[in-house]
Amino acid sequence: MKLTFFTLLKKDFRLMLAARFFLLAAGSLALYSCYINFVYVKLDDEMFPVCCFDPDGRLEGTADPVINVNTIEELTAACGDGLSAGIDLSGETPRIQMVSCGIETLDNLRAACAASYLTSCEINSKASWASSAELRSGASLPTADSGSFPPAARIGTDDREMKGRREITAEFLFFELAAVGFLGLAAMLFKEKDMGAIRIHAVLPVSGTAFLLSKLALILLADLAFSALLTLINVGFVEGLAVLPSVLLQAGILSLLMALVGFFCAVVLPDFKQFSLLYLVLAVFITTPVFLAGQLGIEAGWIKFHPMYHLFLAMKRAYFEIPNTSLLYYAACGASIFLLFLLAGWGLRRKMVREG
Amino acid sequence: MIEVKNLTFSYRKDKQALHGLDFSVGEGEIFGFLGPNGSGKSTTQKILTGILKGFGGKVTVLGRDISAIRTRDFFREIGVLFEFPYLYANLSALDNLNYFSSFYPPEQIRDPEELLEMLEFKRDFLKKPVSSYSKGMRQRVSMARALISSPKLLFLDEPISGLDPSGAVLFRKIIEDERKKGTTVFLTTHNMVDADLLCDRVAFISNGQIAALDTPKNLKEQNSTRRVVVEYLQASRPGPESEGKAWEPCAEKRLTKILEIGELEAGFSFPHGEILSVHSQEPTLEDVFIRYTGRGLD
Repeated sequence: MKLTFFTLLKKDFRLMLAARFFLLAAGSLALYSCYINFVYVKLDDEMFPVCCFDPDGRLEGTADPVINVNTIEELTAACGDGLSAGIDLSGETPRIQMVSCGIETLDNLRAACAASYLTSCEINSKASWASSAELRSGASLPTADSGSFPPAARIGTDDREMKGRREITAEFLFFELAAVGFLGLAAMLFKEKDMGAIRIHAVLPVSGTAFLLSKLALILLADLAFSALLTLINVGFVEGLAVLPSVLLQAGILSLLMALVGFFCAVVLPDFKQFSLLYLVLAVFITTPVFLAGQLGIEAGWIKFHPMYHLFLAMKRAYFEIPNTSLLYYAACGASIFLLFLLAGWGLRRKMVREG
Repeated sequence: MIEVKNLTFSYRKDKQALHGLDFSVGEGEIFGFLGPNGSGKSTTQKILTGILKGFGGKVTVLGRDISAIRTRDFFREIGVLFEFPYLYANLSALDNLNYFSSFYPPEQIRDPEELLEMLEFKRDFLKKPVSSYSKGMRQRVSMARALISSPKLLFLDEPISGLDPSGAVLFRKIIEDERKKGTTVFLTTHNMVDADLLCDRVAFISNGQIAALDTPKNLKEQNSTRRVVVEYLQASRPGPESEGKAWEPCAEKRLTKILEIGELEAGFSFPHGEILSVHSQEPTLEDVFIRYTGRGLD
């Protein structure tokens, strides 16, 4: 059995070499790493402009971006663009003032940005601040009184660059495993199908399970190696090593799930054209909403029922060292892998009967 | 070696592919299974090779009930050559053979290079990828793949397809040699010449039923008209009796005459000049097939 499995592994490895699988993976790794190191970390998004009316000079020691104004009228005018946020420190209780841009999530971010200056100069500890935002557009801003607008607090120890590195590496890895890995295994299997390999294996003294397992093992190893390299290169050696176990766990789960889905589709669908169409559907309708929800904060209640969303979040949590202790998540992943494995095995046997 | 009793199979409820086949194949026999496309040949072969389940009737292969087996031991004892030369195109002939042979016990494996030499495979291509081979070369490697495990039972599907005439002669010789070693051969083919030359017995399958089963010789004899066609030059006038010639030949006119076999016992008693040829009217195996099944092999 061991020898058979090793033979299958060797053959699949050679197939992957012939299909330039490793070359493509190396290319992706180089491309992602170059983008992260030479482009992404140098991107510095403009913060929301924060204006401050501070007649008593209470806001000392704040960072440069704060624009000081001399009158409350100036403050109102400066905050009227739907982008800036204003801090009014003329009263005992600091007030945050701004005009709603129409998107609640963005308004919250602007308010949080302004509030962060209050936190940094410790006014927060002296005065029980409250945000009584003046909203000309009529949109309501949550307030500390209502309990849904917590004061800004420092989370984690990352600087902006490290946060960016973790975030973009998690996203690239998720994309690579969800889309490219899925395509890689399926392309390899289609090639074998075209060469009649499934017919031959139907009459060889080797089980379909071993045939499937060898491919899975190889894809998993390749994906784990890719994940480790991507993490160490782009997050940094020390920081990368710290997150590596949890990243590899999430990468392993995602890799197995996507490889099994790819395998099943490749054995069930008759040709690569149909597979490409399915791939397009998967990319557009399944993965895109996850990216939109995860990246842009577009709110959609149903996204919680999207399995890929949870995998995406788990990957991000792994990079930010937030433990994912949800037993339900791991149970669902385990059950999905098991069911997909059975389904892929059934698909392979069906194909062997048809072609054998 | 193979025992098939009342074999039935349906892909769907309304589509029965096999309607109660009965045949047996003895050890060391070359058994031809002949039929047009869609007649049930492939379905039968899939059942005999243990791939297709859910059939009716009883099928015993190599002494095992085929409905119960899915063991490696069974697949170690059979060799299958498919109609098309399926191989890993990125690997060389030797790598392909080494890969496929690695699933069998070492004592069963034949030397790949010797096999390829026997199949007159060009040595220059031994280590080149299969993608650079001609169809005939791929067929030779496929045959080597089927033989590499020294199978007791060999399933051959159109083995001569894609080969030039000398390759076809070589393959027939190799199949004969296998039989001499005691290997049983189940040959599926459209090619009646191969079947006639190679098979000890043939079965004609049409619409999922066996229309006839016998040796090629018997099938042809049973369907023979027992006639010969004689082609000769017309005799123009009586010849000089002193020279012993009854008739002088007339060189311009060629005639033919059909004679019953019994008539030949008396010699060529009709007036004739030079006898040009005598053709037996024994039917070909294809003629017999059409007679039994009402259709050709296309």
